[in-house]
Amino acid sequence: MSFAVETQLLFRRKMLELMRQPVWIIAGLSSPLLYLALFAPLLQALAGGPGFAGKSVLDVFVPGIIVLMAFGSGMGAGWVTIIEVDTGVLERLTVSPASRFALLLGTVLRDVVWLIIPALLVIFVAIPLGFHPNPAGTVVLLAIASLITAMVSAISGALGIKLRQIGSLAAVVTGLQLPLMLLSGILLPLSLAPSWMVVLAHIDPMYYAVEASRVLANGSIVNGTVVTAFGALGVLTALSLWWATGVYRKALA
Amino acid sequence: MQTRQAATGTVSIRDLRKSFSVGRKSIEAVSGLNLEVGRGEIFGLLGPNGAGKTTTLRMLATLVPIDSGEAMVAGIDVRRKPKEVRRRIGYVGQLGGADLPATGRENLLLQGRLYGASGSDASRRASELIDLLALGEFADRPARTYSGGQRRRLEVALGIMHKPEILFLDEPSTGLDPQNRANLWDQLRGLNEAGTTIFLTTHYLEEADALANRVAIMDHGKVVAEDTLLELKRRVGGGTFVVRTALPASELEDLRAALANLAPISGAWLDGEALRLRTSDGRAAVAAVAAVAQLLETRDVPLAALSLSEASLDDVFLQETGRSLRDAGQNNAETVR
Repeated sequence: MSFAVETQLLFRRKMLELMRQPVWIIAGLSSPLLYLALFAPLLQALAGGPGFAGKSVLDVFVPGIIVLMAFGSGMGAGWVTIIEVDTGVLERLTVSPASRFALLLGTVLRDVVWLIIPALLVIFVAIPLGFHPNPAGTVVLLAIASLITAMVSAISGALGIKLRQIGSLAAVVTGLQLPLMLLSGILLPLSLAPSWMVVLAHIDPMYYAVEASRVLANGSIVNGTVVTAFGALGVLTALSLWWATGVYRKALA
Repeated sequence: MQTRQAATGTVSIRDLRKSFSVGRKSIEAVSGLNLEVGRGEIFGLLGPNGAGKTTTLRMLATLVPIDSGEAMVAGIDVRRKPKEVRRRIGYVGQLGGADLPATGRENLLLQGRLYGASGSDASRRASELIDLLALGEFADRPARTYSGGQRRRLEVALGIMHKPEILFLDEPSTGLDPQNRANLWDQLRGLNEAGTTIFLTTHYLEEADALANRVAIMDHGKVVAEDTLLELKRRVGGGTFVVRTALPASELEDLRAALANLAPISGAWLDGEALRLRTSDGRAAVAAVAAVAQLLETRDVPLAALSLSEASLDDVFLQETGRSLRDAGQNNAETVR
């Protein structure tokens, strides 16, 4: 059996699992729309101010929301992995000849798809409200967001195997999410932040993604910020997938 | 139960060892194990919790790395070619492994495809197993709606979906009620008659008795006895009988010690609310019965029942380890598996 077929089978399994959980679907779709409905109006007062000069508030806010969604889409992987360890599913799949990387990718690809669908919904809903996306820039933006989801999904899944307790995993993942998100300038541009925070933001990979996402939403694709984001996130995602595959390989020893 | 001799090993283990670190201590879970399982056998690895059975099985199924020693499964070296071994074995762990949100049929189809079957072949095989293991009524319902027995049958079906040369079962009937257990045993016998070699671990004496052609009894990581059921029981020798009194359980130990000191008795053990007594020589049984009756009368202990008993696997375990298999698990740390 080829690696591609194994991955496709395991991806399909994960998609079916998602489709059978309407609560996940509703939550996945409603959270970003709630940000648009309940948070974006608060920013209207900042229009024209620092960080928003010459732009619609949504041109700054929506790309940030998509990066936020990218992080959130991958976070849940570890929860399900723990359930699969507890029910013996992972053990059964590990005894099969399926590649460990395919086992990991089934979940990662599902999470990426489950990022792109709600992200497109947010973009289409935001357009009539004043968001001005560039089509090519949006495609590249979704590619960067997909790298974040893949990285977070792989790390979350591997942490699930290592920690094996939902409470511990939740503490680690949400404990990482908050500082990474706040330092990235997702909700408000870092041009509003004190200089020490701007310096600190440069060690946060999410910062590069958010900066690039705003440049891309404005249609500037060939840009140093975009290249930096792709480079940093590409390397980090590759490292995360490599590490997580190793964890799957030793999963149940 | 029909006895079969081990042929050239479908499973062949030489000096197998595995240790785990628990804090700063290293605990040897499997200590130099040697076993041979032939094609077509139902081989039972019997022992209390913490004896090292599951660790052994998980090493053979490529789930746990082997520290040292040699393990060949279906003629393939487990350490050198684990992926080849995986293609040839079926494995049903203690946790089962059925994907609960998916239907039984979906579980089977995915399992078949992962082992390389085409969609149509996997579908045909799934239908075959649904019939064979009587899963038809609920095969298209999510597995999370199954009863314990139904789920276990699905898990066995998953283990043999790709027609493995050998099926590894870890404590197959744990958690099942007596009816479902008997039903599962029937299904496993059927699979074995159809040609599947079965290697199972169990801590249930009844399960080993009911299913296995040959048994290895494990304790503290080592095999303490290995043979056909008949030979193991014959090896115990002497006579075995069970004494029940009206004494409360708290006073039985004192009585056991007194009975153990009687001349014809070679061993006395508590077995729940009963006492199991053994004589080293079958001819001494009559004298032993008389001596027991006299002691009970002297102590004014009312006798509720006294029966001669066939030697059991527990007697074999008692003889080899000095402990009852029924009690041993409580004393062994199950943290080491």
